[in-house]
Amino acid sequence: MNPLTAFFTRNAWRVFHRNLLAWQKYAWSSVAINIVEPFAYFLALGFGLGAYFSLTGYGSLVQFMAPGFLGLTALNTATFDAAWGAYERRVFNGVYESMVTAPVDPLEIAAGEYLWQAFRSMLYGCLFLAVIAGFGLVHSWWALLCPLVLALSGIVFAIPALLVSFVVKTQEHLFYYFSFVVTPMVMIGGVFFPLDKFPKWALLIAWLTPLYHAVKVFRALVLGTVSGQTGLEVLWILIAIAVLVFVPVRSIRAKLAN
Amino acid sequence: MCAQNTVVYARSLTKRYALVEAVRGIDFSIHAGECYGFLGVNGAGKTSTMKMIYCRVARTSGELLVLDMDPTRDASRIKQRLGVVAQENALDPELNVEENLLLYASFFGIIGDAARDRAGELLDLLAISGKSKALVRELSGGMKRRLVIARALVNRPDILVLDEPTTGLDPQARLLVWDTLTRLIDSGLTLLLTTHYMEEAARLCGRVAVIDEGRILAEAPPAQLVAQYAAEDVLELVDADGRLPSDAQLDGLVARRERHGDTVYLYNADNRALLHRMAALGFDPPRHVARRASLEDVFLNMTGRELVE
Repeated sequence: MNPLTAFFTRNAWRVFHRNLLAWQKYAWSSVAINIVEPFAYFLALGFGLGAYFSLTGYGSLVQFMAPGFLGLTALNTATFDAAWGAYERRVFNGVYESMVTAPVDPLEIAAGEYLWQAFRSMLYGCLFLAVIAGFGLVHSWWALLCPLVLALSGIVFAIPALLVSFVVKTQEHLFYYFSFVVTPMVMIGGVFFPLDKFPKWALLIAWLTPLYHAVKVFRALVLGTVSGQTGLEVLWILIAIAVLVFVPVRSIRAKLAN
Repeated sequence: MCAQNTVVYARSLTKRYALVEAVRGIDFSIHAGECYGFLGVNGAGKTSTMKMIYCRVARTSGELLVLDMDPTRDASRIKQRLGVVAQENALDPELNVEENLLLYASFFGIIGDAARDRAGELLDLLAISGKSKALVRELSGGMKRRLVIARALVNRPDILVLDEPTTGLDPQARLLVWDTLTRLIDSGLTLLLTTHYMEEAARLCGRVAVIDEGRILAEAPPAQLVAQYAAEDVLELVDADGRLPSDAQLDGLVARRERHGDTVYLYNADNRALLHRMAALGFDPPRHVARRASLEDVFLNMTGRELVE
């Protein structure tokens, strides 16, 4: 079994189902946390700060940020649960430990987690999409493809987060990942402001992060400016998934395999 | 090489971790339908042996066959036919009792009505059916352990592996688990368990292996171990001032004498005869306990250590 074929196993979906069952018990608070917080930032920055200026060539700040926040929502929901949540499932709750006494391959567990983060990212992203549509910030039927891209984004963000959850010594060390990787990625991801004025090297770093590409796709879908370039951005994400998914294999097997 | 009814077979089995050699070359065969126990203190190598059998860690060297399959090659097929009660309960605290069973059943391909029927059956068997919608954290320690046993039985395993099934339970909960396991043994299921309670080993196991520092020191039915390595009776007494008569003075009634600090253990055939002889010598043993010998004494004799500190 390899980490890609693991996505197509029944056990991956059973792991997904386990997370769904657990999530159902606290769904409302989870929705609130994952929607209210980004929404508050969105309102404050978009309408508060945005009232003072507009972005040359991009219109209002709120219009610029709306699709960016779709990427941000995908990143936050997938990262937090694949890092913090998965750490709890593995270390404190023995969830994976009992799975591997049954005939479940560790890679099937990982695939189930990725699928789960795809679902979370899609769910919370769509709720946010509905909100910005309500504010009249969605301008194209292309936006109907957002759920699909949210799911792919959820997977690509979940992979490194799950890896980190498997290698840290204590749960608190996850904050290194949040602070040193996730937050900088958000700052250079094109969520809050355009990156045209960035120096070349900074743009290159941005280009290497999945958020940069996800945000570009969301912006194109929401504004209806879809082009061949948009397809290439999606391709970048797909390739990133296919490559990154092999990286955590050794760490996952080391902790859970025979 | 496996006899017809051998379900687990180990020869020169070892397990080395980075810093410790947990299992140092052990041999054993477990037969279908028996209850086989590993008796030893913490760190003796019991759990490592179990984990090699239920395919959680790979062996370092030696031979190991579980249901005629090699755990390094056929882990998945072996797991399909094992029931495992690991030392940590590892119940899913975010799921309720029934969901725990149904999820685990699904990993064996048991789904839908078949899974629900099986879950109901097991909850009845383990007397926790009233709790099927309860969250795991609402269960008592004994109920949790019974739920883990129920979960391990969900796939109708050929061997039930239990790593310290009653450690940490109160006496009443322990009795309930023993009752359950006794019924499973009576039904013909093969059980493999570890314990540091000699009473548990004596009560449940057809054969016991005494394991210490990664080696098996002896293996036999519990009663035979007691007869061979202890004696019928033990007279335990405190002899702080060394006034205890010698073996010769006691007419050779003492089969074996062990001293740990001030406590002396006199293994003998009949405590009453021994006490009678002591009285005749004018020695009144201070603070003594006259009792039957047990596996505890076997263990003490073999390792110089007590099982439960």
